[in-house]
Amino acid sequence: MRQVDPITVEVIGSALTSIVEEMGEALVRASYSTNIKERRDCSTALFDRKGNTLCQAEHIPMHLGSFIGIIPHIMKRNRLEDIKPGDVFIGNDAYEGGGTHLPDIVLAEPVFFEDEIVGWAVNTAHHADFTDRGSAHIYQEGLRIPPIRLYTKGVLNADIEAMILLNCQVPSERLSDLRAQMSANRLGVRRLQDLCAKYGADQVLSAGDALLDYAERKMRAGIAAVPDGMYRFSDVFDSNVIDRDMTLSVAIEVDGSDMRLAFDAPPQVRAGLNVIYTALLATCYYAVKATIDPTILPNAGLSRPLSVTAPSGSLLNCRHPAAVNGRIATCQRVADIVQGALAKALPGRVPAAGNGACTGAQFTGTYADGSPWVYLETMGGGAGARPMADGLSGVHVHLTNTSNLPVEALELEYPLTLLRYELVNGSGGAGRWRGGMGVRRVYRIEKDCRLSLEGSRISTSPWGLEGGLEGGRSSFVISGGQKPGADTVLLRAGTIVDIATAGGGGFGDPNDRPESAVAKDLLEDRLDVETANAVAGSQQPDRSRA
Amino acid sequence: MTWRVGVDSGGTFTDICLFDDQTGRLEVWKVASTPSDPSEGIALGVEQGVANVGSDAEAIGYLGHGTTVATNALIELKGAKTGLIVTDGFRDLLELGRQKRPSLYDMTVDKPPELVRRNLRLEVRERVRFDGSVEIELDEQGVRLAVEKLREADVGAVAVCFLYAFLNTKHEATALRILKEELPDVSVSVSHEVAPEFREFERLSTTVANAYLSPIMQRYIGRLERRLTDFGLKTAPHMTQSNGGVVSFEAAAKLPVRALLSGPSTGVVAAQAIGQAAGFDNLITFDVGGTSSDVALLTQGVCSVSGEADVHGYPIKAPMLDIHTVGAGGGSIATVDSGGLLKVGPRSAGADPGPACYGLGNTEPTVTDANIVLQTLNPVEILGGRMKVRRDLALASIEKLAEGLGLGTMEAAQGIISVLTANMAKAIRVISVQRGYDPRDYALMAFGGAGPLHAARLARELDIKTVIVPLAPGILCAMGLLLTDLRADFATTRLLTLEPSSLPAVREGYGALQSQAQTWFDIEGISPSRRRITRTVDMRYQGQNYELQVHLPDGPIDEASMAALAAGFADAHQQRYGFTADGDAVQIVTLRVEATGIVEKAKLRPAPAAGANADAARQGSRDVHMPGLGGFVSCPIYARDRLKPGNMFEGPAIVEQMDSTTVVLPGMTARVDAYLNIILEG
Repeated sequence: MRQVDPITVEVIGSALTSIVEEMGEALVRASYSTNIKERRDCSTALFDRKGNTLCQAEHIPMHLGSFIGIIPHIMKRNRLEDIKPGDVFIGNDAYEGGGTHLPDIVLAEPVFFEDEIVGWAVNTAHHADFTDRGSAHIYQEGLRIPPIRLYTKGVLNADIEAMILLNCQVPSERLSDLRAQMSANRLGVRRLQDLCAKYGADQVLSAGDALLDYAERKMRAGIAAVPDGMYRFSDVFDSNVIDRDMTLSVAIEVDGSDMRLAFDAPPQVRAGLNVIYTALLATCYYAVKATIDPTILPNAGLSRPLSVTAPSGSLLNCRHPAAVNGRIATCQRVADIVQGALAKALPGRVPAAGNGACTGAQFTGTYADGSPWVYLETMGGGAGARPMADGLSGVHVHLTNTSNLPVEALELEYPLTLLRYELVNGSGGAGRWRGGMGVRRVYRIEKDCRLSLEGSRISTSPWGLEGGLEGGRSSFVISGGQKPGADTVLLRAGTIVDIATAGGGGFGDPNDRPESAVAKDLLEDRLDVETANAVAGSQQPDRSRA
Repeated sequence: MTWRVGVDSGGTFTDICLFDDQTGRLEVWKVASTPSDPSEGIALGVEQGVANVGSDAEAIGYLGHGTTVATNALIELKGAKTGLIVTDGFRDLLELGRQKRPSLYDMTVDKPPELVRRNLRLEVRERVRFDGSVEIELDEQGVRLAVEKLREADVGAVAVCFLYAFLNTKHEATALRILKEELPDVSVSVSHEVAPEFREFERLSTTVANAYLSPIMQRYIGRLERRLTDFGLKTAPHMTQSNGGVVSFEAAAKLPVRALLSGPSTGVVAAQAIGQAAGFDNLITFDVGGTSSDVALLTQGVCSVSGEADVHGYPIKAPMLDIHTVGAGGGSIATVDSGGLLKVGPRSAGADPGPACYGLGNTEPTVTDANIVLQTLNPVEILGGRMKVRRDLALASIEKLAEGLGLGTMEAAQGIISVLTANMAKAIRVISVQRGYDPRDYALMAFGGAGPLHAARLARELDIKTVIVPLAPGILCAMGLLLTDLRADFATTRLLTLEPSSLPAVREGYGALQSQAQTWFDIEGISPSRRRITRTVDMRYQGQNYELQVHLPDGPIDEASMAALAAGFADAHQQRYGFTADGDAVQIVTLRVEATGIVEKAKLRPAPAAGANADAARQGSRDVHMPGLGGFVSCPIYARDRLKPGNMFEGPAIVEQMDSTTVVLPGMTARVDAYLNIILEG
């Protein structure tokens, strides 16, 4: 393959980015379910013909885990010559389909140019379905779909579609979201073909290879700037869906421009918290990239300098038939410990711990006509204080970045009323820089329904750095006294559900925070007087340094 | 004699464009802007401009003004101290927004600062439900208590935004009444007046921005009005809005949030008028400045108006021309990143120190330096000889870059242009292919100082066949002010299924909007024969969240109109997403009325043809780097002000004028049309 000059590489790289962004817009705009259209819980990408990520749109880093798995599984099940233009593969399974949990349904379509596969258009949408089924093992968690053809040479396999839809609780939304996913991939296919027509497939493919090399070079340049050595960190992962806390550890070895991440974790559990290896990879790629150099292109090249291991059959590298539905909760803590370890290597470059969770509430009920409804909301919280700034309040951290559902859209679609939506006073960890504040959402149930509620940082706190204090914890309070755990709970009309998420840890000694900033925090109720006094009292002697 | 005057007040210069209706004479005047009080520079500029053409204030028949006062106040956070009154439980909505962190990977990026501090966001008990019914009556005593706190805090503006106020305005109206009683000198913005649309955060953000900008805009307009009156102006001045239309100063002061894009919008309006005269209905506008570039798409002479956009990080629901901005322009700096690829922008050398070739201390290469090195720009002097440049310094800056890339100097300079072109092409893809339009069906109109310099390459990159370079690319925004109508947009949210039973509600909605439009026409003093109303409906499949705009035919609203809407929606959905969901219910979301008051506009006049031979405009030649021809080749240089209608010449060639330089690539033919536009083809 011939060498492409750096300018052409940059030009083709820009074109690939616009293609995945355009696919993402089409997917969100054409979809029907609140989880896609409002909360944007979906991602789009282009892959090369070898199955390497060429470009992923900046949506949800966790979804990369589903992407990197699917093409190899398709190739395992099919000979290349049997894949035809217009074939569309659908898959979601964590063990046979390259997925990371069953609701993330992936659609992959090969891109043909002059009778040859030049790449793949791929997208995933989180279908808010498969609800209220249990998470003892993956068979409870929904329909397992290996990568099979939803379309063969452009023709819908209606039998497959009917079978999938019958296994869904809200089939009308599934159908329309799948249609939006189809539309997004079609755009991707057409645009990549146009690009090949303009530059020649050979040049586009070479540029693709060069872009992977480029991402690798940038990652290596970033790692090389980290002092060689072994950096360890561990933290406790707690969740309300399991009755014990689990310690997760990482040892990161930096050796020149290579980085090895070796995890240790307890054995896989009978709950949906297990992490499939591809999800662990996506988590590491995110955490390392965000720390080392956020501008590295999101393609497969950035993974080359990294090696990632975790004991097989453990929480972080689970085996069939472990349940995986809530894997993101675990992955959020994995990102925390990776950054915690890197903070030792790069003091002053890494923020304190954020809310460390992806607090998820899934309400399920039936409308008057008997048809089910499902409303999924994931709540952000505080982000960790940064070395030069306060942490962001009320945002998702790490592996997800979904939007909230507007109150006026929520109440129109579901029999729920949102009574409060606010920041949690005093939840940001004190420090020279304050951690971001957690979020409270208070719902009133208008018609009986069931709720599954999952979160973390309930019995542990997000840590501070360099003397910064811990952030506030998360709490779930239901007026009927129900304790949300592994099973869904029944909520009667009139019940109040109060969900508060954790704040972020602080950065630096709280005594070094300028008085004007403390006064502003007090005036704005961001900090309560007791905490302010406690901090001032305990560290009074340090004041003399200033 | 009557002069029509357009004034575009920018950060550095205030451009004044004067047009004599009778003779078609066009004159331009430039003065330095006076950022501390822009009205000073404007009044002075108008006075000098009119004097320069031997006339006076009496002779001004029309004055249109575009301003960046609102935009700058938002960027620099110089708006008023603002208070906010919201539904109990929702004071943090302004800060929570849609919960998105601003950058997925870069943890140093912040959200835009909230325009109201947390202690000035006050909650009042009241609750309206999703169907508009009242669950909790407004606690009027609570409003009064909140007002007391705001009075103590000495706020200059107050915003009010309650849940569902777009459906039921009662509580906001009561709060407004109380605020007017208690704080008569404070400017108040309520959400049902500013942006009566669905989705509370975007409505709140818009209402707050409006409140935040109101006092500064009112003061500015007041000062400017006084200065213009003192100067003797007899006509009521007008101000542009983000939708490309103009309104009276009075209307502009009330809704400053509608003027946030008033600057770039007039350039689009000018391009539209020039394109129409020249016979091009499908246009992509390409406006390149020093640090950023604006692009917009005009289909059949119309630029689509979007109802919502992100303006400097703040979601704003207001009618705005669909203009896309990219952070790259002539001053953008080129660097080699840690992975060895060439990047251009978003960092810019600005006007001071400016590009390396200015010799003011900057040694990093910019786009302008690349053009100087390649000699597409005059390597000795620019701005019609007003400014000397140093090619040796430009060369030195590029040589350093070339080393880092492992390329030759000329290849690196050419690389800067290619990467810039790719960035611009990406911006144009956003407004064309991403919206379902093929850029190859459009002509590219290039303006702004650096647009004509890069347009030919951009057109090649996108397979666009025609480029139009208007006569005065550098002052097109000021000119646009003379070419636009009075315009106001009215909208209301009505969630309805597209079926005959919804007819009464649709009629009622349009009845209300049209009477608002008539009131506006009356206020603006537009005679009945000059009033135009266009109606559009935002529609989607029931269940979707993003609407597509569909035209509602004129005339009575009946079952035939509903059928027309259904057909229009299906076409739009097919065009945008490539499929229709036949059988699914279609929903009406927002009803819109665009009211236009037709005003006398500057009329562009064709000039008689002078023959194809362009030799009279030749002013020598210079070696210009043309990669397609293998390196430097001798190119003829033409003087723009000597080119006559009908003149033709072949690329490679360069056309120079005071405010811009046009590059004609090899294989392209340039011709000058009757309006003195240069049309590049091939």
